[in-house]
Amino acid sequence: MADLEKLITVAKETVSRDDVKYLIGWRQGTYGFRVSPHFITEPEEADKLIFSPLCSNNLATYLTLVEKLPVPRGQEADTRKIALMVKGCDSRAVVQQLVEQGIKRESVIILGCPCQGVVDLAKVEEKFPAGLEQVAARWDDGKIVFQFSDGEKAVPREEVLADKCLRCRYPNPVLADTLLWEEVEAGSSSDEYADVSELEAKTPEERWSFWEAQFSSCVRCYSCRNVCPMCYCEDCILDRLNPTWVNRSNNISENTAFHLSRAFHLAGRCIECGECERVCPVNIPIMTLNRKLTKEVREKFAYEPGTDPASKPLQASYRPNDQENFIL
Amino acid sequence: MSEQFEPNVVAFLCNWCSYAGADLAGTSRIQYPPNLNVIRVMCTGRINPLFVINAFQQGADGVLVSGCHPGDCHYMEGNYFARRRFTMMKELLDYVGVDNKRFHMSWVSASEGAKWKDVVKSTVDEAKEVGPFAQFQRNKINW
Repeated sequence: MADLEKLITVAKETVSRDDVKYLIGWRQGTYGFRVSPHFITEPEEADKLIFSPLCSNNLATYLTLVEKLPVPRGQEADTRKIALMVKGCDSRAVVQQLVEQGIKRESVIILGCPCQGVVDLAKVEEKFPAGLEQVAARWDDGKIVFQFSDGEKAVPREEVLADKCLRCRYPNPVLADTLLWEEVEAGSSSDEYADVSELEAKTPEERWSFWEAQFSSCVRCYSCRNVCPMCYCEDCILDRLNPTWVNRSNNISENTAFHLSRAFHLAGRCIECGECERVCPVNIPIMTLNRKLTKEVREKFAYEPGTDPASKPLQASYRPNDQENFIL
Repeated sequence: MSEQFEPNVVAFLCNWCSYAGADLAGTSRIQYPPNLNVIRVMCTGRINPLFVINAFQQGADGVLVSGCHPGDCHYMEGNYFARRRFTMMKELLDYVGVDNKRFHMSWVSASEGAKWKDVVKSTVDEAKEVGPFAQFQRNKINW
């Protein structure tokens, strides 16, 4: 069970260390079921920290999102650590960033929060139409209890949990410096890629028309790129004008090219935190696209990104006996 | 008289094996379909999957990637990386509905002029079979 007292004590201790720059956690948002990231530099700010079924944000994004300014001459670079609270899926993002050497192990302190699954806001708001009142939530033995001002309402977890949590195989952090409370049982959930196989069974024409309908609604806000903990290239091809790989015009050709390049960029790197799909303003099933590649990577190369800090990145390594039955 | 559809196939060939193989096919006067637009690259490992996407956007009906046999790469391991990359790329393209017959990869060495002919023939035939690929094309702007 999430132990808030322990969480706050550890956060206070961590953030008062001299070698820690700041701590990133979650706090109650300003309205409804929202939760915001909480950046703490002073111990007293730690009192606001929470960990609840509403904490779906993947905070690992902020490790690489921070702007790296050049160090002025005569000054030393700030080498202080960043402390980060992670769920199971977030920890896979951190591990994958370490594997790719996007961050250094010594520059990050990982506070592991074993997690029993977070909610899908769309499912919750369907049950409880959103008001402005702040609502907290907690896990309670197979149920999720929402604390409204006029009393508590319990809902079975299967009804509100995000899809990624219902098939979660890594509820406990893969890598953590401090585990904040005892690990949760991994359960018997397996991942059969039912959504992917369903689409695979269709004909190419049907698949094209399915994705055409999805991609044509894309507004190219690039939220999926911005929120992704694995999308941290300093020079993104989507922002580059010369060469222009993907034009900025919004049509089916460019949208498809964008989604293909984004999905392929995550081949062997996607850690399935589902953030892209959560933030998508037009509800494109982006994870259904990503999960196709995750599935292929798992089947063909027996590789699972973000599970082993000692592994090498999939596309930067090879095995001479990789299968090649499609090659003429 | 109905005109037969002639596909536009873009081929990315590695400089050391497939390009030389295609050259050999030419000097040996082996006949193969002329639908190919050959782009020479130094190694298959240099081929960015975006090249493939971009080729389709610019009007290709099929794409062929060809390089040295595993173990023969001039740069020791470039084709191994390419193999991993295009294994996934092919699956991804198929998944979004780009027919499997439009994208091919092959190993053709510098001495395999005859194999090159077969590869081109099957690639072009399959592209012919699935027809023009207009859905993915970029709108042509007439200035």
